[in-house]
Amino acid sequence: MAVAKASLLIAVLLVWQLAALRGLPEYVLSPVQIAAFFAQALGTRELYENIGASLGRALPGFLIGSALGAALGLAAGTARWFDRLLSPAVFLTYPVPKIVMLPIFMIWFGIGDLSKVLIIALACFYPVFINAYTGARQTRTILVWSALGMGASRWQVFRRVVVPSAAPMIFASLRVSLALSFIVMFAAEMINARSGLGHMIRVAENSLRFDLMYVSLAAIAILGYAGDRLVRLAHSRLLAWQQPA
Amino acid sequence: MSRLLPFVFIGVVLAVWEAVARSGLWSPLLFPSLEKIGRELMLFFTRTEMLGEALVSLERALGGFALAAVVGILLGVVMGRSRVVAGLLDPLFSGTYAVPKLALFPIFIFVFGIGSLSKVALVFLECLYPIVIMTCAGARDVQEKLLWSARNMGASRAAILRRVVIPATTPFIFAGFRVAVPVAMIVVVITEMISSADGLGYQVIYAMASLKTDRMLAVVVVIAALGYLLDKAVVLARDRLIYWEKLDTYYV
Repeated sequence: MAVAKASLLIAVLLVWQLAALRGLPEYVLSPVQIAAFFAQALGTRELYENIGASLGRALPGFLIGSALGAALGLAAGTARWFDRLLSPAVFLTYPVPKIVMLPIFMIWFGIGDLSKVLIIALACFYPVFINAYTGARQTRTILVWSALGMGASRWQVFRRVVVPSAAPMIFASLRVSLALSFIVMFAAEMINARSGLGHMIRVAENSLRFDLMYVSLAAIAILGYAGDRLVRLAHSRLLAWQQPA
Repeated sequence: MSRLLPFVFIGVVLAVWEAVARSGLWSPLLFPSLEKIGRELMLFFTRTEMLGEALVSLERALGGFALAAVVGILLGVVMGRSRVVAGLLDPLFSGTYAVPKLALFPIFIFVFGIGSLSKVALVFLECLYPIVIMTCAGARDVQEKLLWSARNMGASRAAILRRVVIPATTPFIFAGFRVAVPVAMIVVVITEMISSADGLGYQVIYAMASLKTDRMLAVVVVIAALGYLLDKAVVLARDRLIYWEKLDTYYV
């Protein structure tokens, strides 16, 4: 079954490998070559340092942005005055590409890691805010009434009814914001950085080191995939009562 | 009072900005006053070459998006209606969903050249995912009842596709578009910031490199307005085309 599922992937890799044997441009390496270079790079310190630098930016940004998004989204979804105050500004700026703020952040917070972490946090804030907000607003009124009828305080209603009913939506948005954090991290590092996977691919590009280019590409692909699996695992563990979307 | 509340937050932010700019605590390079940004904005709209830059970015974003829409709807409908195709393609899409496609950009530059083509190709790739995923979800969940009724009334496969499946899927297609349009703008701006000699993303980097913070912020305002207007255009088209149903979601 697993073989049948991956059949197309295997077919693509096979065609790619066969095409490489017949001669491809030098900037397209064959899958076997990429695997060999990656295995080789796994033995160097450089790769781990760059991965560490990249994760050191992406993860704090993801955590700060998602936590703020979830907290403010739940607050706006439950308190009407807060909703009126904050939501229009958020929905207004939602379709704006947040990466354009990077140069401004670089001027305000320096060209070091702080500006990158903050831009990642900003990008991660939006999807989590919108889903937490929608999730909180979609809480079934009958549940809230029952809880109030049984003598629950406002805080208990929030903690025991609103948060659990918004949780599936929040987890769905965490998947989006984690993917987003890697994209923004990579973009920020390609634009301006002295370390990290985005920097590595830039250097490789400029010095025509195609092997390093593909190593960096493979590393970011594996990180992105693993991160996504972790979020989905956490989702199915923590919200066992609900089928993951 | 409560009607004014939405503007309070935005107004306070702008007022704080102006106060900071005028306080003289920080250099005007960090916080240019609103007046200076406004003047640069006026300059932007009166100079044809700057409008040309906006057009270049818009063409790249819309070109990649249009390609992704055509391919994505086709793939999505086929994946949603055929279990065999879904079994083949679904692992490919869900496996690479979380991988930042942006990492392919340096390779795209070698394959498609440093001009517009590599950027359009990357926009296409990034926009394809949300459109395929949403369209597939919509086409798969067409109500069996409707399909049975159509078949019972003697509709051909083509008629069912055109009259039942496509209309039922359209709200989902628009939900996919709504995710894909901001993505198209993001990718265009990022790729122009990384390597380009034209477009709005390049103008941002260029203005920053020449320490023209006010001009940079003016370009940022233009990019923001474009992103907002494109989203509004999608919503308008959706409300026109599918007046019978509203699927007002940003995400799946």
